[in-house]
Amino acid sequence: MNKRRPLIAATARVAMRVLYFLLVAVSLVCPSSARAQDNYEIQVYPSETMAPKTLLVELHSNFTVEGSTATQFGMLPTEHQEHETIELTEGINDWFEVGFYIFTAEKSGNGVQWAGDHIRPRLRVPARWRWPVGVSLSTELGYARPAFSNPTWSWQIMPIVDQTIGRWYWSVNGTMVWDVHVIPPPADATPEQKQIYYRDVAPRGVTFGPAATLTYAPSKYFNFGVEYYSYYGQLGNFVSVHHQQQQAFPVVNLFVSPKWEINFGAGWGATAGTDHLIVKCIIGRYFDWSHHHPGSSDSAQ
Amino acid sequence: MDRRRFMAEASAALTGAALAHVAPAWAQGAPDVKLEIAPLGLEIAPGKLVHTVAYNGHVPGPLIRWPEGKPIAIDVVNRTDIPEIVHWHGLWTPSAMDGSMEEGSPMIAPGATLRYAFTPRPSGFRWYHTHTAAMHDLKRATYTGQFGCFYIEPRSDAGAYDQEIFLTLHDWNAYPGGSGDSSMEASYEYSTIGSRMLGFADPLRVRQGQRILLHILNASASLVHWLALAGHEMTVVAMDGNPVPEPGPTRAIRLGPAERIDIVVTMNQPGVWILGETREQFRKMGMGVRVEYANQQGKPAWIEPPETLWDYRPFANAAAVSGEPDEIIPLRFESKFHGQGAFDSWTINGKSYPHTDPIMLRQGKRYRLQMTNRSTDDHPLHLHRHTFEVTSVNGMPLSGLKKDVIVAPGNAITEVDFTANNPGATLFHCHNQTHMDFGFMTLFRYA
Repeated sequence: MNKRRPLIAATARVAMRVLYFLLVAVSLVCPSSARAQDNYEIQVYPSETMAPKTLLVELHSNFTVEGSTATQFGMLPTEHQEHETIELTEGINDWFEVGFYIFTAEKSGNGVQWAGDHIRPRLRVPARWRWPVGVSLSTELGYARPAFSNPTWSWQIMPIVDQTIGRWYWSVNGTMVWDVHVIPPPADATPEQKQIYYRDVAPRGVTFGPAATLTYAPSKYFNFGVEYYSYYGQLGNFVSVHHQQQQAFPVVNLFVSPKWEINFGAGWGATAGTDHLIVKCIIGRYFDWSHHHPGSSDSAQ
Repeated sequence: MDRRRFMAEASAALTGAALAHVAPAWAQGAPDVKLEIAPLGLEIAPGKLVHTVAYNGHVPGPLIRWPEGKPIAIDVVNRTDIPEIVHWHGLWTPSAMDGSMEEGSPMIAPGATLRYAFTPRPSGFRWYHTHTAAMHDLKRATYTGQFGCFYIEPRSDAGAYDQEIFLTLHDWNAYPGGSGDSSMEASYEYSTIGSRMLGFADPLRVRQGQRILLHILNASASLVHWLALAGHEMTVVAMDGNPVPEPGPTRAIRLGPAERIDIVVTMNQPGVWILGETREQFRKMGMGVRVEYANQQGKPAWIEPPETLWDYRPFANAAAVSGEPDEIIPLRFESKFHGQGAFDSWTINGKSYPHTDPIMLRQGKRYRLQMTNRSTDDHPLHLHRHTFEVTSVNGMPLSGLKKDVIVAPGNAITEVDFTANNPGATLFHCHNQTHMDFGFMTLFRYA
């Protein structure tokens, strides 16, 4: 038995977090910009959690090739921003893990800036229950600086369902986010503008933005597929399609070693509310704290 | 229905007819041992019931202790609804009595009784178990409780000890899980030593100063296990029932599926201890047993053994085997990926059983199996009806170590020598149940 979680799950991980760090790109002059997208950690989660006493260190590198170009509500434009996120995930037992994020943003003229931190406990239905699909529940709480995110404080709940069928793997993440603290609209905004602001930029209720992935594995060393990310707006009061975010990433996942995972892809946004082109890469390294080394008394083999 | 299962059922049907002819000769006299294969609800801990199949209603099955060289007759009745078979692991039996359908041994049809008759040899710690296929049904074959210890008493004294204990390791309630190389393998819900989880079995009761001889069998369908007796050093005296050339101390032992080990422990640390898996998650799953000194009470203690790098060589002769074999047989092991949601299939020299080409042997010749493992998995490789001598592991030579199962490390070459001295079809396979079910087998035949 190996303590490492299956590679398919590890690499197909998705995060519905595309909307999470929304840099409010709304313009009251040009309301079509609506709620802007901010991309710090772009992945779809699997249901499986990290094995106990195992730490996964991941570096998420995302570059927005084509995004928003104007500073709006004090938030920097996303175009040509480079985001580097460090994600640490530690397995506690066979059904619980805790993740921690350090978000940074870089752009010419602004230097490297700390953008925020999040903590993410996640639990799953243990594999030994032998459900036909994997089921897990993730929750994420954290803060991000106003220059990079609106809301600043947020709480996310995300049910995850996935399944592996032969060479195919799919996962759906139903992300719901509660904006605990949002930046208020400008003091001189008209009631109409405030209404638009609280509908499209900083909803007061719970927002919904599912993500999903479908991959195919021709060999045990790589798979390829597509990842989908979205933002629909407040539950029960979705924004118009024009203001929604719809984004698809063709992706490749490489399994070059049991200790490493690599994911890369390019995403195209289909609506005005989505950054139009983002390139992403995730490099992950597993560390085994249980001192289990092949051939040793703690070996998994 | 897969081909192997079809062949088993066809073989069982034919056996019924065949037995009608052989029964008068075989059925003379009462058997020395009776085994009944039947479903069993096994309570491994209070409230934890495992639905399995076992011999004579117990896990493990009855210990068969028999003098070397004395013929034995064993009647096996199959009270399940599928064909069964019993393999006498590590014994030099005729092919028809070995309990392997692939070698031509008959299956036992549901409701039928079959007599196995042979002369047990060589002496030492052997065992018996089902030799059926499970395929995708992880409640069958070696995933069940169909195993037991078979000790063939040597004609000479086996050694000095005060108490002799047989222990079996097993994992229960298998389900498809992930593995380190992205392929699917069996994972388990519970593990036991004997039939009970740690904390719920009768303790091993010892006295200070005693020398305890432990015969330990890993009867897991697919997992390697590591064991240690907290606070105590162990001396390895035999592997797979055969005395090792260099008995020596160790703090932890590693056993691949189907491997056995004999260790002697001098009980010199009064207290209450755990004999258990070195990995915490397996102890939590139940793999451990309480060891209790006389007049000692309390919670059993666990002390993490120092990290032990397992190596066969300290217990073997360091020198290479003298002389060359008559023939070297190269065997290349590879897997074929079918997705993370499916079991890999396995090939030997590019072919999966039953499509492998039989390898021809000549009686009296010495052969070297040069096994190139091109997978990342370690494989417990078993040769039926013969004993081999391990000659190198990962390029490191050794000699004098006699076994019938060798754990061949991943991405390495392992070599063993054996003499073709037991004519008849002889099966060679990986003892990981899913690996053998999905092609990791081949047959040797005598010319």
